Amino acid sequence: MIDINERYSEKRNFFKRLLFVYIFFGILFLYLIYKTFSLQVSSFTDYELASLENKTREFLVQPRRGIIYDRNGKIIVNNKPSYNLILNPERVDDINKLISEINKFINLSDAEIKNINDSFPNKKKLNREVVVKRNLTQEEIARFEVRNYKFPNVQIAERYTRENLYPYLFSHSIGYVGNLDEDELREILLSQGLKSSETIFTYSGGFLNGKTGVEYIYDKKLRGSFGKKIYEVDASGRLLEEKQLIPAIDGENIITSLDLPSQKVAYDKLNFRRGAVVAVDINNGAIVTYVSSPSFSVNKIANGLSQKEFNELINDDNKPFFDRAAQGRYSPASTIKPAIALFGIEEDILDWDFTIQDPGFFVLPEDGRIYRGWKKGGHGEINLKDAIIESSNTFFFSLAYKTEIEELRDHLSNFGFGTNVCIDCFMPDDGLLPSPRWKMNTHNFGWFKGDTVNMGVGQGYINATPLQLAYYSAFLATKGNLNKFSFVQDKDIDKNIFNSNNINDTDWDNIHESMIGVIESPKGTAGRLKNLKDYVIAAKSGTVELVSTETKEDYQIIREVEGKRDHAIIIAFAPMPNPKYAVSVVIENGESGGSVAGPVAVAVLNSLIEND
Amino acid sequence: MINIRNLLRDKIYIDQYLFISITLLSVMGLIFLYSASQGNIETVIKQSFFVIFGLFLMFIVSQPDPDFYKNNAVIFIIFSLILVLLTLFFGKEVNGAKRWLDLGVFTLQTSEIIKVALPVFLAAYLYDKPLPINLFNTFTTLVLILLIANLVRIQPDLGTSLVILIAGLYILFLAGLSWRFIGISTGFFILSLPFIWNNFLEPFQRQRILTLFDPNADPFGSGWNITQSKIAIGSGGIQGKGYQMGSQAHLDFLPETETDFIFSVIAEEFGFIGVCVLLSVFLFILLRCLFLAFNARDRFCRLTIGGLSLLFLSTVFINLSMVVGIIPVVGMPLPFISKGGSSLLSFYIAFGIIISMATHKKLMQK
Repeated sequence: MIDINERYSEKRNFFKRLLFVYIFFGILFLYLIYKTFSLQVSSFTDYELASLENKTREFLVQPRRGIIYDRNGKIIVNNKPSYNLILNPERVDDINKLISEINKFINLSDAEIKNINDSFPNKKKLNREVVVKRNLTQEEIARFEVRNYKFPNVQIAERYTRENLYPYLFSHSIGYVGNLDEDELREILLSQGLKSSETIFTYSGGFLNGKTGVEYIYDKKLRGSFGKKIYEVDASGRLLEEKQLIPAIDGENIITSLDLPSQKVAYDKLNFRRGAVVAVDINNGAIVTYVSSPSFSVNKIANGLSQKEFNELINDDNKPFFDRAAQGRYSPASTIKPAIALFGIEEDILDWDFTIQDPGFFVLPEDGRIYRGWKKGGHGEINLKDAIIESSNTFFFSLAYKTEIEELRDHLSNFGFGTNVCIDCFMPDDGLLPSPRWKMNTHNFGWFKGDTVNMGVGQGYINATPLQLAYYSAFLATKGNLNKFSFVQDKDIDKNIFNSNNINDTDWDNIHESMIGVIESPKGTAGRLKNLKDYVIAAKSGTVELVSTETKEDYQIIREVEGKRDHAIIIAFAPMPNPKYAVSVVIENGESGGSVAGPVAVAVLNSLIEND
Repeated sequence: MINIRNLLRDKIYIDQYLFISITLLSVMGLIFLYSASQGNIETVIKQSFFVIFGLFLMFIVSQPDPDFYKNNAVIFIIFSLILVLLTLFFGKEVNGAKRWLDLGVFTLQTSEIIKVALPVFLAAYLYDKPLPINLFNTFTTLVLILLIANLVRIQPDLGTSLVILIAGLYILFLAGLSWRFIGISTGFFILSLPFIWNNFLEPFQRQRILTLFDPNADPFGSGWNITQSKIAIGSGGIQGKGYQMGSQAHLDFLPETETDFIFSVIAEEFGFIGVCVLLSVFLFILLRCLFLAFNARDRFCRLTIGGLSLLFLSTVFINLSMVVGIIPVVGMPLPFISKGGSSLLSFYIAFGIIISMATHKKLMQK
């Protein structure tokens, strides 16, 4: 019923105003509904994603690196399980009590206890595991296992360390692993389409990648790809439930051509002397032996080295980190003579019947300078074959004198001098094959004829790494038909074919015969190796003079200082007449190629041939 | 049977539409609250007591004749003012805010009482004043409104203070405040905004307003609440994630799920469909109030129904606008849904009064 006392207009006015407010709010409500609609329907996918991102946390799962084998399937580098004691903090209230309980049977250091106490509150909040003790011993594991039932929140977690089973044998060939820096990690993750995030480590050392050697060169293959573990988390970041696991793909195993027994022999024979041994299978250029001495333990490098130990290694005068096999530069000395001989034949300067009179020295016609041989009085009348067997310097001085340096240089580069001879070696040095231009640039001097003469006996500016000397040796063995070297033969490697106009098979056979004579002939420079084996070896020894002396007496004074003694070098290949392996040995300050480096080369060849 | 029905019709005052829809809303609220409180049955039981008591209170309050409220409006407003002043001095402090009086069995949020008492008082004060309202009456009522709103603001409770201010202004507007006065004071208000900004707002309140315009500026700090609320609502999609399946609410990303942000939980778990269902219940109640206001028996009843329904409307609106990010976070429950006894009871009382106004016909002629 309507109150008749009220004025009609006033009532209408009220309705209008009430409607006005309702319509005003009605419009606001429509906007509100529109806003909700746009959130829930139009932008649904964005917010659905945001909600999903909110509640999930991705962990990377570290893959295991591939295992590295030698050519016989012997494991060289493995992933060694280590055991950590960890606790799940979520249901632990009194951490001090728990620690003191554990401490009764597993001794914890003050640092370890402090570490646990420091990290516990935060780890508990986030529900992340706390590492109580790393690298448990077998005894500690056993002591924990029997008390396991008393500690529902404590368990043993398996982690791996990268372990080289022969930590000193493969330090420079296989190399070692170490921790990644941020940039490297980001790059690796990016290549696998991942972002940096919390990681479940498989290795106690955390992120690892190869730092040197095969570990570095084949890092991509060995490393595998990260997996993912997806957890549901709440707003505080606490882990609630594992939602999904995309397993990591472990790295591929790698079978190298390295040969464990010969590697051991080489290492033992070098016996901490400074030097290197490289041996290859000449049929495919596969490196079977690769030792640089002295060595260091790669396991210590990979799994943590004290500062003191590190300083000792770094400051060691013998430079154990230095890879002499691929980076040590040595004059080839007399080992170069077969290559020079081949050049003489190629250029028609001489043939196998050509002889000279060797008085023990060569006089350079231009300035009368005297270049001496190693044998006082000389070798008399001597032909090419004997010049190689007896290592007549005079013969090769006079041969080199007749060559043009640029052409000689081109010829020698075919043999591996001055070039990279390996496709998967770690930072190989190219050695030095000098040219007149190089000399002008470096020494600001023109090329003298005497420089060419010196090169004829492998002295002077020319130098090569043991790896290159091995290549040179293999080149001679295969008569110039050789693959580049490699540690892993999983791809086709083109053969280098040596093109020549004048060198024929007979010349090669003569070279081989001469080199066999180095050991077998009574006049050979390495005759004392004859009885160390029961097959035929072709070889050429060399002695690198670090200091030029006029007489033997002068050298006797020089050799008082070990660092000034001659380097001993030998290249060899065997078994003749169908060689399979080529080897080079350098022993710094070893003095005699034939009698010091020679036995090492023979021992390595023995091991390789016996085990075939 | 017929006797009883007649008895009920004559002696019992009840609007079945409002009663049913409010009961429905309350029950929905309990269901939502169970999920929003992470399945805390204690909270739901406590809230159920308030709902049952509130419905009973609504029934009781709707029985007296509107004249009872008209005649006692002064007593009510003085009583509630005393409560608010007591709170200011003896209130229980929670999180730096003094909003509650400890009554032993129950802590009362006194601003919720005065929120209802003020519109009733203003309606009672203005119903027989000549129209349009003269300047004196305008200013006395305005001073009262501002005084009460400010008493609540300093607790501090900006949300309720705003609602009190808005509800008071509605009554003035509905009572026939001249458009010219509205225009002048609106202009004056806009000019004084910088002054209000600097002197009447706490730093955290200013921050909330700034956050509104750019919640992404600090998504983990002041923007956290609104960012997470939007994610909750948006990720609900059309159908929602399912009851108790809202990850935003259940994994603690969403703040204040039981109170201010309960709508976000509903939107996340029931989607746009659920939102529309909920909003239609609110809309039904409001349209029913509009209808009742049109048919009210006199000016006092009209003003009261209009004022109280707009109080309800603006509370709902402020809460929803806040959680979807249209206005700053001010702290405002969603009526009949959010946890909180005082707010719940105040709206049952308000609707009790509305029902009283709507159902009592004038028996005695003046």
